[in-house]
Amino acid sequence: MSTKLLRLLALLFTFTLLAAACGGSDDSSDGASGSGSADAGECGEGSISASGSSTVEPITTRAAELYEDVCGDIQITVDGPGTGDGFALFCTGETDISDASRQIKDSEAEECAANGIEYTELLVAFDGIAVLTNPNNSAVDCLSFVDLYALLGGESDGFDTWAAGSDLGAGLGSDVAPYPDAELFISAPGTESGTYDSFIEIVLEGVAEESQGEEAPAGFIRTDFAGNAADNVIIEGIAGNDTSLGWVGFAFAVENTDIVKTLAITEEPGGACVEPTIETIADSSYPVSRGLYIYVNNDKLTSNSALAPFVEFYLGDAYTEAVTEAFGPDAGYVPLPDDLKAETDAAFAGAAG
Amino acid sequence: MTLISPMVDKDKTAERVRARIESGGRDPKDIGFRWLMLATLLFSLLVLAVLVVDVVGDSWSVLSSRLGDFLANPLRSRSDEAGVFTGLRGTFWIGIFVICLSFPIGIGAAIYLEEYATDSWFTRLVDVNIRNLAGVPSVVYGILGFTIFVGLLDGPFGEDGAFGKTTVAGGLTLAVLSLPVVIITSAEAIRAVPQSLREAGYGVGATKWEVVRNHVLPYAAPGILTGTLLSLARALGEAAPLILVGAIRGRLGSNAGFFELGQLREQFTAMPILITEYATKPGDDWVPVTAAAIVILLLVVLGFNAVAVLLRNRFEAKREGK
Repeated sequence: MSTKLLRLLALLFTFTLLAAACGGSDDSSDGASGSGSADAGECGEGSISASGSSTVEPITTRAAELYEDVCGDIQITVDGPGTGDGFALFCTGETDISDASRQIKDSEAEECAANGIEYTELLVAFDGIAVLTNPNNSAVDCLSFVDLYALLGGESDGFDTWAAGSDLGAGLGSDVAPYPDAELFISAPGTESGTYDSFIEIVLEGVAEESQGEEAPAGFIRTDFAGNAADNVIIEGIAGNDTSLGWVGFAFAVENTDIVKTLAITEEPGGACVEPTIETIADSSYPVSRGLYIYVNNDKLTSNSALAPFVEFYLGDAYTEAVTEAFGPDAGYVPLPDDLKAETDAAFAGAAG
Repeated sequence: MTLISPMVDKDKTAERVRARIESGGRDPKDIGFRWLMLATLLFSLLVLAVLVVDVVGDSWSVLSSRLGDFLANPLRSRSDEAGVFTGLRGTFWIGIFVICLSFPIGIGAAIYLEEYATDSWFTRLVDVNIRNLAGVPSVVYGILGFTIFVGLLDGPFGEDGAFGKTTVAGGLTLAVLSLPVVIITSAEAIRAVPQSLREAGYGVGATKWEVVRNHVLPYAAPGILTGTLLSLARALGEAAPLILVGAIRGRLGSNAGFFELGQLREQFTAMPILITEYATKPGDDWVPVTAAAIVILLLVVLGFNAVAVLLRNRFEAKREGK
């Protein structure tokens, strides 16, 4: 009785595999025909491997996809285990390009130096970090770094209402405190995320040192919330609670402005409140933003003939689309203003000789 | 043999029998228990049904409009071009590794433990250890795979820039991961073979090898198959160990076809990794893509299970036919 059903399932399974197999051969022949039209000399030979920040990965991936039409034979692998992991591979010479959502640390630079790896740092884009709350939360529109510290910093462990942070905020000179007497529901990235690190570094660290002294015995950030690695889950958390607070990469916030509210931010209490937009991030008037980088191995620029043409394409023809449309036609990062872009181009030209 | 008479009060027994007959078989506890058990069954079915309906519903826009494309394309940064080819290919080859390595080794170990090994402190130690290994979290196997396989393969394969983080390393890691479960389930199946069957074999002068081959294994085959294929299905759904062994989470630059052997020495990715990657992209466009990838992985696992059930039914029919 049920054997018929089972046979059907088995057939379906075989079909799936077959379809995939046929699809595979189609795909590879596409690649071959695509490359036939391109000049092999310009593309060089070999494969390119990039690794590092999962934030930058979409930019490099988009550049690699666009490169398929130009040099289809060059196989480009782009992994995104995280900035630190990326440098660990880069500094042992395993990867050609390292994606990074921060500048290289001294310890990582020493590792590179010890292995004789010379590199060129190329700033490629800006990423803002949006501070979010629920659209129904009309009590709050603009927060300063001090307010964020009073609600999210190391000394706020255990605060389960916004009001609980009022004294701390007022003591540090906040002009917004007292905060509304409502539940404080935090939905934010977890410790493994570069966005978590960046938020601490840009927003909390300075205030924490001011408030607790250099040693910051209570830590920079409160430890009593459950962070989440998936940005979409963070967004859902914000949308699901009327008095939520959290932060997420700008690209994710822009995609969801219908269900979350981005807060304007000012560095000093009483300063000008700035909403995160592409313009305010590009001209650095929005205070919570960071640079996104790629690091290129200098030796490989000469030893791997495929690398230099790809980086040139990345910073040239692919640049605008790869950065501004990294996630799709209307979601991406903020491209560099002309003067910084010129510096990046000059840095690459110097390295490529 | 001594007969042990149960210590029962005769009057009470009579009373209970009478009550049972008079109530017309309607003991409230009995009925309650029956409904409770039915509820647990319905609950587990409901969870499964909600999951499947939800995922298939989400994925429908992708599966109905561009199934061929979806199976043929690799990971892309545009949701209308994205596919699962690289993940499906990786998962297929990992499955091959598990089947070719952990099944024969695991079943062999089980036969030795059940049929040949004497009951000594050593075999008991091995047995306890295997049971513990089956409960070790999969991430730990990932670390093991990273230390042993990735490091080991660094030498012979390292020159093509593959640095040991290859399909081979991933396949070996998941084969080791499923090994304890294969051994345990196979050993249970072999232990369930009636002793009289073996004795009958020896009685007509068969050697140990002949008894194991012609009597024990065919009898235990359905049980062994169920266990092994369930462990395969589990291995195909694992993401954590593969991430540690270096599965690519982003774009995998490889033009290799589905069945091309050369890719075994190259970097790889797999379905669970691809699903994670799609699930973490911003925007609603990715929801159907993620759901469709989940449906494909479900179909692959379901396919393996269907094969297992088919084979088991065949073996069972054979066994009862004789």
